[in-house]
Amino acid sequence: MSLSIRKVALSFFLSLFCLFVLLVPLHAAEITLNPQVGFDGLFQLRHPFPLRVELKNLGPPVEGVVEVRIWKGGPSRGVSAYSVNHRRSVFLAAQSRKSLRFTVDPDSISRALTVSFSSPRGRVSKKINLRRHFSPSPLILLLTENNVSPPVPALASDSGTPLISVSVDTLPSVGRAYQGVSTIIVYEQSMRDLSKRQTLALDRWLSSGGRMIVLGGMHYALYQEPFMSRFLPVRVTGLKRLSSLPSLERVYGQRESPLRDLWVQDSILVDGNILIEEKGTPILVELNRGKGKVLYLSLDVGRPPLPQWQGLPLLFKDLLGSPGNREFTLQASWNESVFSQLLLNRSFIADTVPVLSFFVCVSLYLGGIGSLVWLWRRQRWPRQTLALTFLSLVFFSSLSGYLYFDRGNHIPDGLLVSSTLLESIPYGYVEVQSDVALFSTRRRRYDLQVQKGWTDFEPVFHRQETPNESVLVVQEEGNFTRFRVPLKEWDHRLFKFRSIRRFPFRTEIKNQSGGLSLRISNPTGKDLTDCWLLVSGQRLFLGDILQGTSQIRKLPLPPGGAFLRDDQFNRTNRENLLNIPFKDKVRKTIFQYSFFSEGADVPRWGGSDLLFFGWVKEPPRRIWVDDPRVVAYDHALFRAVISLDDEGDA
Amino acid sequence: MKMNPVFREGIQLYLLEGHGMSAYFYVIIILAPLEFLAIFLPSLDPKTWMGPANLFKISSIAALALIVYFGLKIVTQEIVPWKFRPLKHWIHHGGVGLSKVARGQLALVCFHMLLMILLCTPLLVWAGAVARAAAGTILLTIFFLLFYSISYGVWGLVAVTLWEHRVESRQTFIRCFFVFFVLLSGLVYSPLNPVAFLLSYLRQESMAPLVVFGWRGSLFAVHFLFHIFLLGSALLTYAWALRKAGSL
Repeated sequence: MSLSIRKVALSFFLSLFCLFVLLVPLHAAEITLNPQVGFDGLFQLRHPFPLRVELKNLGPPVEGVVEVRIWKGGPSRGVSAYSVNHRRSVFLAAQSRKSLRFTVDPDSISRALTVSFSSPRGRVSKKINLRRHFSPSPLILLLTENNVSPPVPALASDSGTPLISVSVDTLPSVGRAYQGVSTIIVYEQSMRDLSKRQTLALDRWLSSGGRMIVLGGMHYALYQEPFMSRFLPVRVTGLKRLSSLPSLERVYGQRESPLRDLWVQDSILVDGNILIEEKGTPILVELNRGKGKVLYLSLDVGRPPLPQWQGLPLLFKDLLGSPGNREFTLQASWNESVFSQLLLNRSFIADTVPVLSFFVCVSLYLGGIGSLVWLWRRQRWPRQTLALTFLSLVFFSSLSGYLYFDRGNHIPDGLLVSSTLLESIPYGYVEVQSDVALFSTRRRRYDLQVQKGWTDFEPVFHRQETPNESVLVVQEEGNFTRFRVPLKEWDHRLFKFRSIRRFPFRTEIKNQSGGLSLRISNPTGKDLTDCWLLVSGQRLFLGDILQGTSQIRKLPLPPGGAFLRDDQFNRTNRENLLNIPFKDKVRKTIFQYSFFSEGADVPRWGGSDLLFFGWVKEPPRRIWVDDPRVVAYDHALFRAVISLDDEGDA
Repeated sequence: MKMNPVFREGIQLYLLEGHGMSAYFYVIIILAPLEFLAIFLPSLDPKTWMGPANLFKISSIAALALIVYFGLKIVTQEIVPWKFRPLKHWIHHGGVGLSKVARGQLALVCFHMLLMILLCTPLLVWAGAVARAAAGTILLTIFFLLFYSISYGVWGLVAVTLWEHRVESRQTFIRCFFVFFVLLSGLVYSPLNPVAFLLSYLRQESMAPLVVFGWRGSLFAVHFLFHIFLLGSALLTYAWALRKAGSL
């Protein structure tokens, strides 16, 4: 077998060329980024919104990080602008595309949002001008598979808020991504493809003030799907023909165009209130969920005769209503002055520094030196031996002390203190504000994890502070979100976040002759300890209210049945609150300086109202760091204002 | 060095007879409770809110002041001045040359300073460990203390040579020297001050560099050049004073 020199040279250069092609750095054009902002390119200003990033890889497989940089703070927030980076690791196969979803919440639209993909081979980035995408008013989403329903968009658009038609697969699976959405209208839409995470996200959005309008349709089987039933206040059983709808017409009807012979969905009430009913068939049903509600209309507004009915715009106006108050009313103080009060606590110091061990070590060392001096003066031991003993004492005590204090896990790397206030709102829900202080004894990075369903997570800065550029990195991995916080030794950072949770603690008050009767029941699954009740300037200790139990208390009416005037009420209650004894000093500090601080008002608490509060025993962890070297404490207080004006359930 | 009679005399008086123990005792008995109070009493200022965070800084500064002050007291023979033989005796009657006297006295300064630093070392290391200072930072701080104490200690030798028979003059000089160079120099130009420098080093803060006719000197360089100059001038003055004392 003979080989020509030419062939050998050719194959050599060909192999070199192939190697070069394989090793050539990633060219920017091989990866393309296509970010899609909000819902169909629209989001409500100052509310979180979904961001979908589509990555297209035309080259070889590559692993990298997608980063979304947004800007927070600014003059409107009273702090200097700082960036928050959302990161997600991604592997892109050769010739593939991938779609990633983020939920971002910039404070300002004056600075561009930047999306980038970085890999060892290079970096591709794209800037998005948010000014082109914002809406000052909340959005309405329409979920429908029915393409013959022109009245729905037309009617919804009349409300003046943008209506966006979306499909189920584009719905975000994070609750806070819906915060800029006021209403979701569902009309003949199969929810079969709705994922569990999407369902939970919709649930959370509803309880935090969202409004869902479910419009009935001829394809009633769609309304019997389990995912749809989860939201419906009724169980749809089929269709029913009604000759007329006098009850609906009485409210919205126009005499010129009465409704005759129409099909409606027949259903049985499961939960909620029937607002309009016709011959035993619920027509309009309302179900409250936390701060939000679901409205079910059994009529098919997309099919005759409804589209021509003149009362329909009025009905829709009522259904859409005005955008509900989705803002949190709860305001507990959380700032540097509250934290400095916490730090002045002896127990806080004891947790971070082994004061006793330090004292023992110093005493032992002084004792050792004293003994050596005594031996030296008495000349019991040879001087050389004593000198060597002294050197050994210095060396070994230094070394062992260093290992004990620095490496011996006697000082935690970090301390995570969270104080959570659960404020009762109607229908068995609570507004939750969690205030967090992360304190570090060592220079290191912390990965904070927050219980799902959170919203408004933000660092708290003091007025003079200029936030560091890399103050917060949001690392998104699968279903988990981690907040990456770098801290120096003996440094701290304050955060707060909010959520709406179910906490079906019930209070029921009755005005009986000679006094008030208060019934408290606790089906929450958590014991409440150290419970107190404030009524007309008096405070009553209720003790512990264990889970699954209830108490009935007779309360005396104030003399002459007269409640305190507002000025008296504020002064007396403030004194009462400050004088409540707590065994735990940290609780007392949080209670006085955060939950009931001078500037923080208790919402809806007036002169004729009762205030109940109690500490939640072993509250579920809302924020944590997966590291045994970080010690965590959570203090959670439940409080409820019981109004005597609304006698009955609360 | 053991054979050096000047050095041997110093060891004999301060250690074997135990006259220097009081100075060592003061250093350690002031430093230990100070550390404990620093760790135990929280600061009222939320920015520098906690003792442990400042424990190593407080301990280092306190150790610096204590070692330099008590070291100067030992070097200037303030504790038992009447027990030391005068320089004239060593030079004219003891048959010890000027260089040997100088070596003996300098060795004694280094020995005392080292001993005091050794005594403080465990307390400083523990403070550093509690305050989460890096091992390198702790070791470098201890080295700085040794360097400062020797730099300033040689000025004690200058005082004891110049005013051998005037104890009050020596005492006044070393107190003024200590107050100005260790405490007040920060008011003139803070990078020259050992306390300000140690604090900025331990806080990992950068002080403004010195700019002279366009030359930009780093804080580190300015500080140590000044102290090397201080040590060098002390050695030169000491040599001159020793020669003067020997010629009398």
